[in-house]
Amino acid sequence: MNTNARDMPRREGQFEREPARRVFAAELRECRYQFKDGEDEKSPTFVLLPSGERSNRIFIVGTLTEKTRQGEQNMFYRGRVVDPTGTFFVMAGSYQPEAMQQLAKIEPPQFVAVIGKPNLYQKPDGSWLVSVRVEAITVVDKETRDLWVLDAAKLTLDRVDAFAKEQTPDILKAKEQYPTIDPSLFRKIAYDALAQIRM
Amino acid sequence: MDYSEAAERISRKFAKGGQTPDVKKIEAKLRRLVDEFNVQPSEAERSVMNELSKEYNLPAPGAGGSAGTGGNGGTSEKKIAECVPGEWVTVEGKIVALSSPPSPAIAQSGIIADESGALRFVVWAKANAPKMAEGSWYRIESAVADEYRGITNLKIHSGTSIKEITDDRSLIPAPTPIKDLHPGIGGVRAKFVSEWEANHERMLQSGLLGDETGTIKFVIWKEPGREKLVPGTVYTVFYAQVDEFNGRLSLNLNGATILQEEGDIPVSGGETAVTGSLVHIAPGSGIIKRCPVEGCNRALSRQNYCPVHEIQKEFVYDLRIKGWLDDGEKTHSVLLQRDVVEALTGIPLAQAQEIAENNPLGMDEVFLRMRDAVLGRYITCRGREIENRLLVNACEKAAFQSGDHTALLNRAGGAPS
Repeated sequence: MNTNARDMPRREGQFEREPARRVFAAELRECRYQFKDGEDEKSPTFVLLPSGERSNRIFIVGTLTEKTRQGEQNMFYRGRVVDPTGTFFVMAGSYQPEAMQQLAKIEPPQFVAVIGKPNLYQKPDGSWLVSVRVEAITVVDKETRDLWVLDAAKLTLDRVDAFAKEQTPDILKAKEQYPTIDPSLFRKIAYDALAQIRM
Repeated sequence: MDYSEAAERISRKFAKGGQTPDVKKIEAKLRRLVDEFNVQPSEAERSVMNELSKEYNLPAPGAGGSAGTGGNGGTSEKKIAECVPGEWVTVEGKIVALSSPPSPAIAQSGIIADESGALRFVVWAKANAPKMAEGSWYRIESAVADEYRGITNLKIHSGTSIKEITDDRSLIPAPTPIKDLHPGIGGVRAKFVSEWEANHERMLQSGLLGDETGTIKFVIWKEPGREKLVPGTVYTVFYAQVDEFNGRLSLNLNGATILQEEGDIPVSGGETAVTGSLVHIAPGSGIIKRCPVEGCNRALSRQNYCPVHEIQKEFVYDLRIKGWLDDGEKTHSVLLQRDVVEALTGIPLAQAQEIAENNPLGMDEVFLRMRDAVLGRYITCRGREIENRLLVNACEKAAFQSGDHTALLNRAGGAPS
């Protein structure tokens, strides 16, 4: 066995990849606050979840119900991914060629796993849209979807519990930014999502 | 500020170390710093002390942060494990190892131990101290505990007095569990788990020692009288130097007492397990070609080019997956080796090779099939974490557990906690 340390690539600083948060559509849809961590051009952008956690990346599993091709020169694909609580709006453009090709290949309806970055837009009519820019999308089975519902429910409940007990900067910011949202709502949403899994 | 009193205080500290600084000079220096340069009195005191320390070739007493505030200026009797950098100490201990001094400025260096622990010590050539003998006990008064490369050591200077202790004392050191080792001097009872290639001409041997609690890398440097350890054997090692590099510990066995033991002990695989979703499959995953040169095994580029051995036409195929496993809180870099990849993707090496050689997309086709088979899936990976990357030697797909489902339903349906 060859395990010489010098054969391994050098560690590049202390790079930490942003974790992919598990969030139900019903919570993501409520996001209204987006911020940058740091002044740098390349600093990551975060969407603040109402349950008090920043999110640069999310992992969702649901049903791709439709996809549409849009644009001529700057072609991109839009899709709708449905979970037990609502709909995620996903998109992949020419800046994500791999993701776009993956999305283009999938014929809805299918269970899909999506890794992507949430972005907040205000439409001309003043309403808000949270869209997910796809990094990777792939077809999965129902068991993976069910596992995701458990995972998303668990991490949502963790956030809701922390929101009630802790005072992290993100929780304080969430209280300030979303004064009208009571995160215990997401406990009910998680319950309803779990209850939809047929045994 | 009362300069004469401060000067007295400073000179007393050095007097305890056997030096006789000029009180008048100290006072004048303090006065100059404070009156002329508006230096804070405590800072002035500190800088005078540092200056004197330098003059007497002692480590700066301010290093421990106690000198400026007066602190514990005197020398105190300590157990060896209690010595912290920046203190004047008196200890009683046994010389358990002597090593050849690395510089002519050093008369003797080695390791001194008592029942509480062990420290590396250095005797300055200028100290004119009597030679100490390995295996004997000494009382060392007014030495300085200092820090060298992040590890506490004991400096014996001209103000230190050394007396041999003649009454018979026994010293039975106890080994430390590997996971509890910290930089300094330590001992373990461990099995020689695997031998690594010596990657330096001065290196005699390197490898991995393991006990129930973990594993640690060890190194033996070439030195007359040093012998190699035998793989698979259990050893009790005392007074080895525990070094830290890039946050990882290793044992330097030169200077250590090594006893071969009978029998066998259980060894922890040093394993961690992470459950999460594979959120990214990196380029370089799938089927790869490796350099066939003995001991190289590097991944070749598409043009069959090895960074060391250049073009290799007789490459060897291998499978691997590099990616990110994400549990929603933290993302772990994972590297799956061939048998794990085969089990997880259901594509054995032979089939992957067949695809790579006959499919129009070649190796890319293998990458795409494997990506589609594992991306976004929940898996549990077990393996060793090395340089922030989990080297996975076992992996299983997560299965839906109705117990988890029920527990979560209860948790979500319960009263808000």
